[in-house]
Amino acid sequence: MMNRRSFLSLGLGAVAIAAIPGKLSAIDFRETLPKAWSATKVDEAIKEIFGSSTLTEGSINLSAPDIAENGAVIPVSFDTQLKATRIAVFQDANPESAVAIFSLNENSVADYAIRIKMAKTGTVTVVAEADGKLYSASKLVKVTIGGCGG
Amino acid sequence: MSDTTKIKAKLKDGIVEVKALATHPMLSYQEAERAKKEANFITYVIAKVGDKVVYEASTSQFLSKDPYMKFSFKGAAVGDTVELTWKDLKGNTDTSSEKIK
Repeated sequence: MMNRRSFLSLGLGAVAIAAIPGKLSAIDFRETLPKAWSATKVDEAIKEIFGSSTLTEGSINLSAPDIAENGAVIPVSFDTQLKATRIAVFQDANPESAVAIFSLNENSVADYAIRIKMAKTGTVTVVAEADGKLYSASKLVKVTIGGCGG
Repeated sequence: MSDTTKIKAKLKDGIVEVKALATHPMLSYQEAERAKKEANFITYVIAKVGDKVVYEASTSQFLSKDPYMKFSFKGAAVGDTVELTWKDLKGNTDTSSEKIK
């Protein structure tokens, strides 16, 4: 029969194991990929982050407005059924390209929404890394009033 | 600063959907120059339930002012607490938390 003491130590062991992947997945890409944030072309930024810019179009649902009256607040949402480990968002309307990089783990559901700024009309690109391949989706957003001080 | 992020977390069909609204000016370099202020924006956001990381994003100056973040995850229950922490360029941090409903 399992006594109280061994039951408790089992629980502690489980907690310790659960804590490890959490720690490993904590990566600040600002620190690990400093060049990704200063890249001025979407291609360059993708290469800095994922090591390649060979993209397969599709497998990601990307939603953004056709026309944004206010470039300061553009809702962008995306989801995918891919078992993605990283997803990044780019645009080509601002001085630099990278907007955000998301890390996913076994708890994640790849369904995100953010609001972004674009100085002028441009293309929003979402890239997901899954099974060693890069998938992408893009959408043109017409900006009537720039939102990046532009 | 602390507890400035508004969080709503709701469990449905095994998936927790979180909507969070941080409070931050998100001044890009261009905007800062124009406003004669120093650029500052959130660079890193992490959300956890207990020890489990459920959201992690490295972010740039191009998120809108008072950034909105929606994300979903599995493996949590009603009553668990989602704790969201951000850090900005100047090293300020904020941690806010909310129970899953």
